[in-house]
Amino acid sequence: MLVLAWANLTHHKLRTLLSALAVGIGIMLMLVSRGLAGGSLAEVNERMQSVDAELVVLPAQDNIIFTSGAPFRASHERHLRRVSDERGPLAAAVIPVFFGQVQMAGQQQRLFGVDPEQMELFLGPRRVTAGKLFDRARVFVEQVESGALPPVSGGPLSGSPQAAGAYAEYLADGLELVIDERLRRVGAYGLGDEVQIMGQVFRIVGVVETGVAGRVFAPLQTLREIVVAGEPTASMYFIKLRPDLEPAAAADVFQRQFGADVRVELKSEYGQLLRASFASVNLYMTASSSVALAACFLFILLTVYTMVIEHTRELGILKALGVSRLGLVRLAVVEAVLISAGGVAIGIALAFGARELIVLVKPLLTVDLTAKHFLAAVLIGVLGGALSALYPGYRAARLDPAQALSHE
Amino acid sequence: MNDDLMIDVRGLHHTYTHTGVAEPVLHGIDLQVRRGEFLVVMGPSGCGKTTLLNILGLVLSPTRAAALRLAGREMLGLGDGARTRVRREMIGFVFQRFNLLPTISVRKNVALPLRLRGLAADGQVDRLVDRVGLGGCAHKKPGQLSMGQQQRAAIARAVIGEPALLLADEPTGNLDSANAAGVLELLSDLHRRLGQTVVMITHNEQLAVTADRVLRMCDGRFVD
Ligand SMILES: Nc1ncnc2c1ncn2[C@@H]1O[C@H](COP(=O)(O)OP(=O)(O)OP(=O)(O)O)[C@@H](O)[C@H]1O
Ligand SMILES: [Mg+2]
Repeated sequence: MLVLAWANLTHHKLRTLLSALAVGIGIMLMLVSRGLAGGSLAEVNERMQSVDAELVVLPAQDNIIFTSGAPFRASHERHLRRVSDERGPLAAAVIPVFFGQVQMAGQQQRLFGVDPEQMELFLGPRRVTAGKLFDRARVFVEQVESGALPPVSGGPLSGSPQAAGAYAEYLADGLELVIDERLRRVGAYGLGDEVQIMGQVFRIVGVVETGVAGRVFAPLQTLREIVVAGEPTASMYFIKLRPDLEPAAAADVFQRQFGADVRVELKSEYGQLLRASFASVNLYMTASSSVALAACFLFILLTVYTMVIEHTRELGILKALGVSRLGLVRLAVVEAVLISAGGVAIGIALAFGARELIVLVKPLLTVDLTAKHFLAAVLIGVLGGALSALYPGYRAARLDPAQALSHE
Repeated sequence: MNDDLMIDVRGLHHTYTHTGVAEPVLHGIDLQVRRGEFLVVMGPSGCGKTTLLNILGLVLSPTRAAALRLAGREMLGLGDGARTRVRREMIGFVFQRFNLLPTISVRKNVALPLRLRGLAADGQVDRLVDRVGLGGCAHKKPGQLSMGQQQRAAIARAVIGEPALLLADEPTGNLDSANAAGVLELLSDLHRRLGQTVVMITHNEQLAVTADRVLRMCDGRFVD
C-alpha cells in the first residue's frame, strides 16, 4: 500500500508538494500563534516571578493583562502595611507598582513605576551592567517625601512659560529610567539617551540584566506626579512577607481585610492568572488557526479526490487484482497522511523560519515552539489527513471494477 | 454439482446498457471447464469473448445467469468483499489491455499479487521477470515498455501467484511468433506443473493446438 501511495504521490510531484505546502502553512499558523501567545505569557510571568516577594495584590477584574490606570489609593497601601498578627505587621515590605506605557525599540513597553528605594527587590541577584539604579531620582524622591510641593500653578497644563520652567526644574531629578539588557541591545540604547514619556524627557541612567520584572523602570513618584498630580496611587502591589509566615495563609488574611474589589494572590499563581486572562484571546486564535487548518485539509481532500478520479482505471485494476474496499480506502488514507505528514514537517520548518523573522522584526517578542505543540501538530496533521481522505477513499471503494477498467 | 468442474456456468446472459441503449452481448452461455483443463476460446472481434472472461473472472457481474460456480462454489449473489477475495486468492487475469499500474515499476507490478496476499516477493519475481524476457527492464515503468513487453509483464503478473484459474485475454496478441511461442510455453508449463485451469482467448489458430479443447464463439453464443 505504502509503495503504491508513494508512487501515486511522486507521480504528481508538484501537486503533492502544493497540498503539503498548504497544510504546512496551516500548521505553521497554528504553531506560531500558539508559540507567540505561550512564549510571551511565559516570559511575562517569568519576569514577574523574579520579584523578591510572595504575594501580589491586584484589582479584582477578570483580566490582568489589559489592566490600565492605578486603581489603588493611599489608603490601600496604608492598610496593607498595617495588617498584623500578634508578632506585628505581616508585610516585611509593601512594594507598589505604577504601570505606564512607553514607546521604545519600536514597540509599546509596559513602564514599571517603582520606588527607587525598592529597586533591590526587583533586581534580586541580577547585576547592574551599566550606570546606576537611579541616582538623582532619589533626590527627587526625598524632595517629594519631605513634603515639597510642585509649583502648583506651573503644572504642565497651565499657561505661563515661567511656571512651566519652574515645574520642569522641580521634576528634573526624577526623570530617570532603568532598562534591561535585552531592550538596550534591541533598541541600541546607551546611558544618557533620552526617551519621551507623556510629554517629559527621561534619561536612561542604568541598565540591568535581563529577567527583571519590567523592561523599563521609572521612579514611581515621578510617574505619580506626571500622571495623577502626585496622588499616591498604584496599579498593583507586591508584598514581601515576614519570613516566618506561610504565604497561602497570609494571602487569606490579607484577602479578608479587603473587599471584593481587591484580589490578593500568591505570586506563584500569577502565570495561571495570565493564562486565564488570555483565554479568550487564545480561543480566538485557536479558532482562527483551526479554520485556516480546516481549509488546508479541504485542499488535501481535493488532492486525494482528484487522484481518485484520475486514477480510476488504476483503482479498478487494483480491485480486479483483489484489493478490498477497505484496502482502497486505506490507500487514499495513506496518501493523505503522507501528504499531511509532509505538511507537518514543512509547517514545523516554516514555524522556525517565522520565529526567526518575528524576532528579527520584533526582537522583544518571544515565540515558544515547544515539543508539546509539535506533538499536537503531528496529531492534528495525521488525523486531519486521514479524515479528509475518507470521502475520496469511499468513492474509490465504491468503484465498479468493470466500469473502472473501461475508464480511459 | 460436479466437484471436478473448475468452471460451471449455466444460462448466462449479459446486456450492456450504454446511455440508455441496451446491447445484448451474451445469449445464454453454458460452459463447463474441468479442473486442470486448458481451454481456448476463439471467435470474431466483438462476439463477447472479453465480456465472458470478465464475468468468469468476477470483474463483471452478469445481468442474468442460472449458475456461476467456480471450484464448486456459487458466485452469484456473493458480496463485493467475497468476490474480491476470490479474485485475489484464486484467479490470475491477463487483461486484453494489460492493465499494468503505470506509477510503479514492472517488478513491483509483477510482485503485486503476492503482496496483496501478504506474501514475501523475493527471488521468484526476478526469476519470472527473467523468464518472460524482461530482466533488463524490471525497474522501468510500464509506460517505458513496448506493447509486447507490457504484455509479457501482464502475463508474469497473472501467473506469479500460481492461481488455480488463469484467465488470459489474447495474451499473445502483441507478440511476434517467437515471443508468442515462449509465452505459450510458459502457460502450458504452469498448466502442466501446477495443474492449473486455463481459459485463453486467442485469434491464433496455431496456439489453439496446444489446448485440451477449443470453443468457438459467435454473436454471444458457442458454436460447433
Ligand atoms: N463496457 C462496455 N459497455 C458497452 N458495450 C460494451 C462494453 N464492453 C464491450 N461492449 C460491447 O460488447 C460487445 C462485445 O465486446 P467484447 O469486448 O466482449 O468483444 P470481444 O469478443 O472481446 O472482441 P475483441 O476480439 O475485439 O476483443 C461489443 O459489441 C462491444 O461494443
Ligand atoms: Mg476482447
